[in-house]
Amino acid sequence: MPFERMTPIERLTAYNKGESIDRLPCVPIVGNTAARVIGVKVSEFKGNGRLLAKAHIEAYRLFKYDIIRIFTDLYTQAEAMGAKVHYPADETAYLGAPAISNVSQIDGIEPADPYKDGNLPHHLEAMKRAVESVGKEVTVTGALTCPFTNASFLIGSENLVRLTIRNPEAVHKLCEVSLETSLRYAKAIMDAGCTPSLTDAMSSATVISPKQFEEFSYPYLKRLIGYIHSRGKSVTLHICGKTNKIWELMAEAGADCISIDNDADLYEAKIKVGDRVRLMGNVRPSEVMLQGSSDDVRKAVIECVKKAYDNPKGYIVASGCSLPTETPFQNIQAMLDTVMEIGYPVNFEKLEAQTLTKC
Amino acid sequence: MPEGKDELFKKLSDSVVYMDESLTVQLSNEVIDKGYDAYEAIEKGLSDGMERAGKLFEEEEYFIPELLMCSDAMYAGLDILKPHIKTKESGEKHRVVIGVVEGDTHDIGKNLVKIMLETSGFDVIDLGRDIPPQKFVETAKEVEAKIIALSTLMTTTMEGMSEVIRILNTLGIRESFKVMVGGGPISQSFADKIGADGYSINAAEAVRLARRLVGGAA
Repeated sequence: MPFERMTPIERLTAYNKGESIDRLPCVPIVGNTAARVIGVKVSEFKGNGRLLAKAHIEAYRLFKYDIIRIFTDLYTQAEAMGAKVHYPADETAYLGAPAISNVSQIDGIEPADPYKDGNLPHHLEAMKRAVESVGKEVTVTGALTCPFTNASFLIGSENLVRLTIRNPEAVHKLCEVSLETSLRYAKAIMDAGCTPSLTDAMSSATVISPKQFEEFSYPYLKRLIGYIHSRGKSVTLHICGKTNKIWELMAEAGADCISIDNDADLYEAKIKVGDRVRLMGNVRPSEVMLQGSSDDVRKAVIECVKKAYDNPKGYIVASGCSLPTETPFQNIQAMLDTVMEIGYPVNFEKLEAQTLTKC
Repeated sequence: MPEGKDELFKKLSDSVVYMDESLTVQLSNEVIDKGYDAYEAIEKGLSDGMERAGKLFEEEEYFIPELLMCSDAMYAGLDILKPHIKTKESGEKHRVVIGVVEGDTHDIGKNLVKIMLETSGFDVIDLGRDIPPQKFVETAKEVEAKIIALSTLMTTTMEGMSEVIRILNTLGIRESFKVMVGGGPISQSFADKIGADGYSINAAEAVRLARRLVGGAA
């Protein structure tokens, strides 16, 4: 196995300039698996920025992937705005109850103060600590839930999607107050020396139509991304599920890199929007990374690289979504090893031959 | 010229497809006023409309918001028509126990499957969300269900599905029930791995699967 020559920041900087690199950037999107790396329970991250930082720093040191993403669950901003989050002892937290149950309560919702409310201060502390510790060699990002998705946690997702048809004005109000929280949190994340990493699960075309996306997600994403750009940071936007009909809008909203799930095809993305955005994805988190063997991971990585290595705006080998907590370490390692083995520049014929002999 | 029965049912079906809840209510009342058969109105009006909505959903003309609005209209019509069904015509329905497994509160997918199953004539017992494995088994035994339907959106809670099957095996009653699974991270290979009887990718497919499963079990 050839040795890595570059730090993640050196690698990404060189890749952005089109200079020579040792391997493609690679980001197995490690979330609560970080708890397993330092042997703690997932719920111990609650209210403990120091521990959350430690877990992500150690996970990075173990695997040496190219971006750290401080993340526990999607509900941190909604919790800071009044939603109830349930914390099982050793599994990812989930939404217990939305902040409000009907439209009449919308005006009572206040945007969160990232330095005071819920777990946001602890996440900020984790980001700050991670930047202090390894920020010179690797980009540290903080997960930020986008307005439409956050709105769904404020009033309940089924309620929210009904309102897109019944009462669009109410949806806009919820998105607006969510955007205010997002902007404040994005500012705090950047003030901590970190980059916001955007997630908008509910904006997926698996849930709402591209037309609804354009009406309820796009305007808020555009304003949020515009603000982050004004601070000189580039933006990665992740949307789960089917997204092919909204890629154009994701690019139009200003995303520099779109992270796509395995319901979407990297080759199609390259053809459609590859000249405008970098692509990231899309090895199956559950079927391949959690349940598959190292060899399954290897094959999946090669398939993804074959589809997207020559994307005009670049490509980051990654899982399609956050990795399940119990993803075996050997599979995460296999992803990095395969990317290293493929090397750079990518030799398509060689990859083709490898797939043939492997199958 | 007086409106014929079939035309009224067609209008009823359309009102569901076009998400017009108040029109569905009005037309359902008209069915009763004119003395038409309530069961037939449900079948050829409401269910037909919901089936067409499901088709539009599969074709990506409709998305989850539209499908939920259609189901709201359908249920509003159902509330009016149901009390007028003559009991013998409702017949024996296959029972399905459905729920989202413990640790997960995402239930849109489960609700859609429930709606589509009910529309297709299944008797659905909805346990809700965040349901412990034991509860699925107990309820299925209690109501003599044919099918246990398990849903999750999260990779972290998939294990709860295999736990249900393990409990059925331990109690020696695995053969009494068909187990179907679905949700974001679930795949056919996962269903095979845990020994479920079937996997469906969406709500419309879930109906076809459920029909196949009870066909085989009957």
